[in-house]
Amino acid sequence: MGLRDEATDGEIVRAVLAGDVERYATLVCRYRDRYARYATRMLGSRDAAEDAVQDALVRAFDHLADCREPDKFAGWLFLILRNRCFAERRRRMRVERPLELADEAFAASDRPDGELEQAERSRALTAALQHLTAEQREVFVLKHVEGLAYDEIARLTSATVASLKMRMHRAYDRLRELLQEHG
Amino acid sequence: MSAQYHPLVKRLLDGELSLAELPAELRPEGEAALRLIRSVDRAPVTLPAALDARVMATVRRHAASPVRRAWRRLTAPRDVELRLRVRPWTVWAGALAAAAVVVLLVNRAAAPSSPPRGPGTQARVGSHDSVYVRFVLFAPGARRVAVAGTFNQWDQNAALLEPAGTNGLWTTTLAVPVGQHQYAFIVDSDRWVPDPRAPAVDDGFGRRNSVVAVVAQGARTL
Repeated sequence: MGLRDEATDGEIVRAVLAGDVERYATLVCRYRDRYARYATRMLGSRDAAEDAVQDALVRAFDHLADCREPDKFAGWLFLILRNRCFAERRRRMRVERPLELADEAFAASDRPDGELEQAERSRALTAALQHLTAEQREVFVLKHVEGLAYDEIARLTSATVASLKMRMHRAYDRLRELLQEHG
Repeated sequence: MSAQYHPLVKRLLDGELSLAELPAELRPEGEAALRLIRSVDRAPVTLPAALDARVMATVRRHAASPVRRAWRRLTAPRDVELRLRVRPWTVWAGALAAAAVVVLLVNRAAAPSSPPRGPGTQARVGSHDSVYVRFVLFAPGARRVAVAGTFNQWDQNAALLEPAGTNGLWTTTLAVPVGQHQYAFIVDSDRWVPDPRAPAVDDGFGRRNSVVAVVAQGARTL
């Protein structure tokens, strides 16, 4: 790996702002996959996540001069992607009918055979996540998919730990309700 | 079966309790809930490498656009004509005893008595189409104060303020290029303080930036 790849985010951001546009490719490579899982779980599809990540990276470039703390580019980019995911969710709510719960997606979660049972439970949970509110889904994804602690999520999202817990606990109940209805 | 988890089971899922800490009658519910959470798909997601090329093609196009080039010309430091006159903005006090005010100096003759510090600000001193702007922050008890904005690429080390006596005022004077700028103060390296007497805009990411318009005749808030 070359020296350029080892530069800090802050160094690269400053270089890009000074006119070295090509160095932005390092940031693209660095963060393309890092946030792909979050976007995929938030939007429910890899294609939608790919669009969201691409848009977020372009938007970050367009607004790079507004990045107050270049050394914290990762967190700043996450906020852009997060806004993009929420906006996409709102757009879908306006133009699409709410998704019908697919019984087959929730079914058979109590089958006894280990790996298959686990896979089906995972599929059912993934389907159920799409029926949470965007805020509930986000806190669930950040805690149980990305493995962040509540205080880390609070720093990322500017929410309080208490409100995050409330959202999460409602998410637990909603998931249980969904999986009972369709299980 | 209730549709709601018992509060203790929710704490189990949050990682605040272990299964052994649950009352015996709640353990089956806790075990089922843990099985559910453990089935979360945590597999990494890899996006196609072609995404990199698409992003870079777009940013190259944006970087070459006339609008962006014009903005860069507008905000780039240039050589100078000084026009200084003082226009103070009042000081505010916040709940955390921090307050900010920007004083604009626009005077034909004098250079600022206290030259700006830091490589970013020095580079702009004496440039045409720049106006000296005096930034003042009331921050008693602060150990370090800086100002960062679009005029110094949000570099929080480029423009440090100095204590003006012992009354809690911190100040610096910067040559700021003509144009509209967003800015904020940074107290003790970690607390961002917008100027409440200047209009603020949402930066799109949940924080507020103060806004100042610097024109050839001086500067004004919008």
